[in-house]
Amino acid sequence: MNIWDIAWKDLKTFLRGKTRVIFSVLMPIIMMLMLGFIFPKAGGSYSGNIGIYSHDLLFNAKIEKSFSNTSTTKMVFYNSRQDLIDALASGKIMVGAIIPKDFSVAVMLHQPVTMDVIPSPADPQAGIMMSQELATMFGSAGVQNIKQNVQSNLVNADGTAFNYYDFTVPGLMAMIAIMSVMTGLASAITRERELGTLDGVMVTPISRGSIVIGKVLAQTIRGFVTAMIILAISWLFFGVHFTGISLLWTIFLLLLGTFSFIGVGVMITAAMKEQETAMITMTTITFPMMFFSGVFFPIQQMPHFMQYIAYIFPLTYAADALRNIITLNVGWNFIWVDVVVLVGFAAVTSLIAAITFQRLTQD
Amino acid sequence: MDDKKAIVVKNLKKYFKNVKAVDDISFEVGYGELFALLGQNGAGKSTTIRILTNLAVPTSGHIEVAGFNVLKDPTSVRKNIGLVAEKVILYDNLTAMENIKFFGRLYGMKDALIEERAEKFLKLFDIWNFKDMLISKMSTGMKQKINLARALVPDPKIIFLDEPTLGLDPVSTKHIRDFIVGLREEGRTIIYTTHVLHDVELMNVDKVAIMRKGKIVSLGSLNEIKHYFKKAEIVEIETDRMLSKVEINGKIIEQDGVYLKVEIEDLNKFLKEITELKVQVRSFKTLEPSLEDIYVEMSESTVPADEKSNEVVKVKE
Repeated sequence: MNIWDIAWKDLKTFLRGKTRVIFSVLMPIIMMLMLGFIFPKAGGSYSGNIGIYSHDLLFNAKIEKSFSNTSTTKMVFYNSRQDLIDALASGKIMVGAIIPKDFSVAVMLHQPVTMDVIPSPADPQAGIMMSQELATMFGSAGVQNIKQNVQSNLVNADGTAFNYYDFTVPGLMAMIAIMSVMTGLASAITRERELGTLDGVMVTPISRGSIVIGKVLAQTIRGFVTAMIILAISWLFFGVHFTGISLLWTIFLLLLGTFSFIGVGVMITAAMKEQETAMITMTTITFPMMFFSGVFFPIQQMPHFMQYIAYIFPLTYAADALRNIITLNVGWNFIWVDVVVLVGFAAVTSLIAAITFQRLTQD
Repeated sequence: MDDKKAIVVKNLKKYFKNVKAVDDISFEVGYGELFALLGQNGAGKSTTIRILTNLAVPTSGHIEVAGFNVLKDPTSVRKNIGLVAEKVILYDNLTAMENIKFFGRLYGMKDALIEERAEKFLKLFDIWNFKDMLISKMSTGMKQKINLARALVPDPKIIFLDEPTLGLDPVSTKHIRDFIVGLREEGRTIIYTTHVLHDVELMNVDKVAIMRKGKIVSLGSLNEIKHYFKKAEIVEIETDRMLSKVEINGKIIEQDGVYLKVEIEDLNKFLKEITELKVQVRSFKTLEPSLEDIYVEMSESTVPADEKSNEVVKVKE
């Protein structure tokens, strides 16, 4: 009977917190609806434009003849490898193929030949599937009904071997940095409020704004260090490559991604009086965000209405920009939209947070 | 702005939706005074302290602390105050000195000065050897002493002590009580809330305010309040023979042989009657009501909390 008393007391105290209960009910609803729609349906097909940078002019002529563009798939030729990479970064093509010299001759002579294929960082699954189709298609372009010897070699922009980890690492880094700030802030502010130490700090001459900035700074450093650990491990053990410039961009984007979510974190923690309520609310927001923002599953494979939802979350932009920087090593031209959105989001939410925190730190 | 007063509160109101936590109170505290704010739980003491310390915003009213308006110049207010709240304001995972340094820096103090002042207070409390110990490993009494040192290191003019002896053993309580009296002697202004009325009497506070349902129902010096509430004279008398009930014109509270404790209407009349009884008086003294008697009477009063009943018993300005 005592066991039931303990359980009943715990449930009763939990039920007394209205916000806690609301978010606890919302959480499974959001998760189930989201996960039900997020995965691609069986039998779904991949489509998108195909980019080609060819060293073999004969191949270009042959493939142009045999391939007919459709409304969903077009063949686009580029004059340099960099143009091809830029097209991948800007989302114009879903996959980029690099055709070696004498490709067509090798096909005609039934000799084995390999072409490099770079999948889109935004949707590598689609890129991988399309690369296999390309090998068949390009092999057929030479001589019909002959055994195919064309192999596609999946590579990153820098020519190193591609694996799915290259897609997840940038998103993971952004996600961990942002989630550290969100949950860390929830814990730091509400816990201090419960303990009474927040009162102790607020009666000192330091401004309310400085308290928030200090707390945010601590959480940003924590999140950033965690992200750097992921970066180091992915570099040391999983072959994710960084050039000097992309490392600086990575650091900048991680800080910006983290900063963009600070306002939301402060708003929630300022509104929540109890640590448990703040944590549940944070989890209800951050957990779906993790799936929506294309960290694990490409956004392009989600139903259209979910893609719109994905673009609400700043994590989507941070992950997208980081992916372009890390896997394609492209510059400002291809990430400025993400950066502008992140800065805008940060500015608006920080402004609202500053107002709400000022108001809510006083009874 | 009143430069002569440490605290000026005029018509302070704080409403939470329909709850009148503080309902139109006014009082003043002079520099160097020890002011006790008494009242049951929920009387409005802590809310008043929170408003004075800039932790809560009043619904209406005019409040000056250290000569500064709490709404217009909160930073200046906070530069001049220290708070020891019911909950110990210390971080468990920091050492005593780390805590003191952290809070000192928030007042813009240099580390050398913080250390110098921390040493003074920690030595005074006889806990200097524990300066590098984590707060989580300290006893409640030690924590409260560090907490006091933390509040005093920035040298605030006005110190708010909200139940500082709560949960402490009698020895620690006495230590802190004596220390508070010492602070007043240094010229600091102290606003003190407590349930331990005995402490208030022992510290001989300068002014007492008793709050009830958000209102101040009694305000004045300890003696003034006691005098005001003295409805009847209580005397203790010891004679050479036992007196019977019929011989005494008063209500006998206690009788133990030749010892009598009597509640009387008129002292002169009583003395005259005793003289006429031709008994030898071995000892005689009049008794004041204790603060506890007054407090209980004020707190348990059945008077409804309406406008009329909540007139402040302002004993003396």
